[in-house]
Amino acid sequence: MVNQLFGNYLVRKGLISKEQLEQAIESQKKVRVKLGLIAVSEKLMTAEEAAEVNKLQAVMDKRFGDIAVEKGFLTDDQVGRLLGLQGNQYLTFAQAITDNGFLTLEAFEQAFLDYQKELGFTATDMDSIKSGDADRIVPLFVPEGTDSVQVEYISVAVRTILRLIDSDAYIGSASWGRNESFDGAAVQNLRGDRAAGFSFGGNGKALLSIAVPFGKEEFPEVDLDALDSVAEFINCINGLFATGISGKLKLDMLPPSYRNGLVKVSADRLVKMPVYISGQEVMLMCAFGSTISI
Amino acid sequence: MAKILIVDDSRTSRKVLKTILEEGGHEVIGEAIDGMDGLTKFKELSPDITTLDITMPVMDGLQALKAIKEVDSSARIVMVTAAGQHTNMVDALKLGASEFVTKPFESEAILAVINKM
Repeated sequence: MVNQLFGNYLVRKGLISKEQLEQAIESQKKVRVKLGLIAVSEKLMTAEEAAEVNKLQAVMDKRFGDIAVEKGFLTDDQVGRLLGLQGNQYLTFAQAITDNGFLTLEAFEQAFLDYQKELGFTATDMDSIKSGDADRIVPLFVPEGTDSVQVEYISVAVRTILRLIDSDAYIGSASWGRNESFDGAAVQNLRGDRAAGFSFGGNGKALLSIAVPFGKEEFPEVDLDALDSVAEFINCINGLFATGISGKLKLDMLPPSYRNGLVKVSADRLVKMPVYISGQEVMLMCAFGSTISI
Repeated sequence: MAKILIVDDSRTSRKVLKTILEEGGHEVIGEAIDGMDGLTKFKELSPDITTLDITMPVMDGLQALKAIKEVDSSARIVMVTAAGQHTNMVDALKLGASEFVTKPFESEAILAVINKM
């Protein structure tokens, strides 16, 4: 998710184009991050030291880590730790951007610091974003006062979207809401120890970004069949959430419902989080302590 | 090959399950949209196996299971549901359900359950 979150910041700031972002995300899938890039990113080496080792590597049949240790830039332990970071999403994105020549590593790192300032996040928060781990990223994007159970609920939803719908989906900042209007929406409520509800709403054809991959079927528009597919996806999320929380709360799922046309999604208090799936904005809505009606 | 009745209020789930079962060599002889409809079609079609979703309007899967077992105590029923309904699953097994599968559907897991019945 870090590639999309930070990548869209780079596009917004005019540092790369939308096409370059798409190209970088595509090439990221084939990238194996160079140890030098990780060492610089982790601030264990300077860019100049990494460049020196790269030059030596061109004329020596030795690995980057071995040369860096010989030169005294890194210890064996540090090389071991850096090797463990080679699959890190932030670093593979950095490498894809720099390999394609869209930005230098210095410019990339500076932009990440500017992004941190814009978000008002701490260095620890940024490490969570760098991790690409939905469970660590979601808590940063929920509004103040969100119940920890609700955070867990949204995390389950985001993880399930990434797993079953679109591995490149990403989230935006969430806010509180009560009455929201959409062209189409699906909802499922839970009852038991606490009431809870979960809904997806979208305008235009946005909800097809969920309906089509989940139902494995093409829909011409967001008709009731497409919404049924979205409702079934919500059913899966609620099932996973209810399982995860079963040690603390007993929750039973009620039959889902859905509507199109001008739909009002209402609850006493709900968290609404924009989720970007295949270029479409879908609103994820989650209530805890009350149900959601449409 | 088994003759199967699918009972699920979700068209998407019915369609996905039907595709899996037919690709696995089974025949889907009927579909029902809730427990009441399922009970009626069970009596009409006498399927070898009935799949019953748990969360359905009008008559839910547990009520339908009970009603079908009253009609035919040897009926072979597979409960189908999202994860997270373990209490309901225990209730279903007590009421005579043979097996259960969870959503989202994974064809290998579903066919393994159906094929051993």
